Amino acid sequence: MSRRRRRSIFEVMDEYMEGFRAWAEEMIESVIAERPSWDIGTRCLEPLCNVFITVDEAIVTADLPNTDPKSIKVEALSEDSIEIRAKMKHKLRFDDFGITHRRGEFSSFRCQVRIPVPVDMEQMKIDFKRGVLEVRLPRKKGYEIKIE
Amino acid sequence: MPELARIVEKKPIPSEAIMLQGLPDVGLVGLIATSYITSELDLEEIAYIDSDLLPPVVVLHDGLPHAPLRMYGKNNIITIISETAVPATSLHTIMRTLIDWVQSKNIKMVVSMGGIPVENRQAITEPKVFVAASTKNLLDTLSEKGLNILKGGYMVGPQALTMRYCAEKNIPAIVLMAQSFYNYPDPEAAAMVIKELTKIAEIKVDISKLLAQGEEIRLKARDIMRRTQQEMTRMKKTQEYDLPLYV
Repeated sequence: MSRRRRRSIFEVMDEYMEGFRAWAEEMIESVIAERPSWDIGTRCLEPLCNVFITVDEAIVTADLPNTDPKSIKVEALSEDSIEIRAKMKHKLRFDDFGITHRRGEFSSFRCQVRIPVPVDMEQMKIDFKRGVLEVRLPRKKGYEIKIE
Repeated sequence: MPELARIVEKKPIPSEAIMLQGLPDVGLVGLIATSYITSELDLEEIAYIDSDLLPPVVVLHDGLPHAPLRMYGKNNIITIISETAVPATSLHTIMRTLIDWVQSKNIKMVVSMGGIPVENRQAITEPKVFVAASTKNLLDTLSEKGLNILKGGYMVGPQALTMRYCAEKNIPAIVLMAQSFYNYPDPEAAAMVIKELTKIAEIKVDISKLLAQGEEIRLKARDIMRRTQQEMTRMKKTQEYDLPLYV
């Protein structure tokens, strides 16, 4: 007769962490991925965007193909979030994506990005190259501790 | 027990062919390059991959259903593309099944295309292409042709498994990777990969149309890029940035 091996505390913890990871992934998917990347009410497409944090800066980029560079607007919404808006050079319809069961057209990009570290919004710098917008925000300095 | 993945053939498979792989990955470079070649050479759908590990998705083209992960071919070229992000958890099974099939069909070489993420991509006018190979002889041949060899570092994802399983089965395999955006579709990088591909395989494709369609492709590829980014996070793609320990 085989005796059931008693699991170690590490195996129990591994199992718990695996369960937690699966739950966290599910939550992230339900919040982030499972919504359309377009809003027909505002005629906006949500651009792909990214936030990089370096030692000195928070760098937000957004992919804005088919954009009129003069129309790009970046606005600080609060201490930790910005909104990017840009008008398209040509309007797009669902037909252009091969979709015939929806109606509507898109004329601009819009997204809101949260910055996960304290930054100085007043010092925001903007660049637009190869259809990619780059917003650079210097990080706020913390306290300096002097070594005696 | 059901098979984890199977390849369903719809038409005769070209023998002694070259297989071009372009599964969704960094900058969708491989997918864009392979889809463009498939379209330019007017290849026809010859097979698809079916697996319970893939999402329950079908793609409609002119009202008719197609499996998202499928193969095209004609004469001596076979391409494989996916119109949906391939789940990181299914990648081992899918790639192992694919390379077993490659061996059974006497495919003479596999070329996997992709992107190498670079932080200053906006500043690069002409992305550089790097190459790796499954055997020393193949690598020497590529070096003699003047291609940039990817000498060290980590490779994660479809290309990594292609290299691993092809090396195991002694199937010649090449990986072509262009400097690209990480999570923005990069048709320019795809064009550079095709340019290098024409140096190593007898494939003639004009890249000018691809470059002209760049903005349109970037717009249309947003959603698959978004889902691919989630899978890249799951497969810990950022390990490609790690500095390896060579003692």
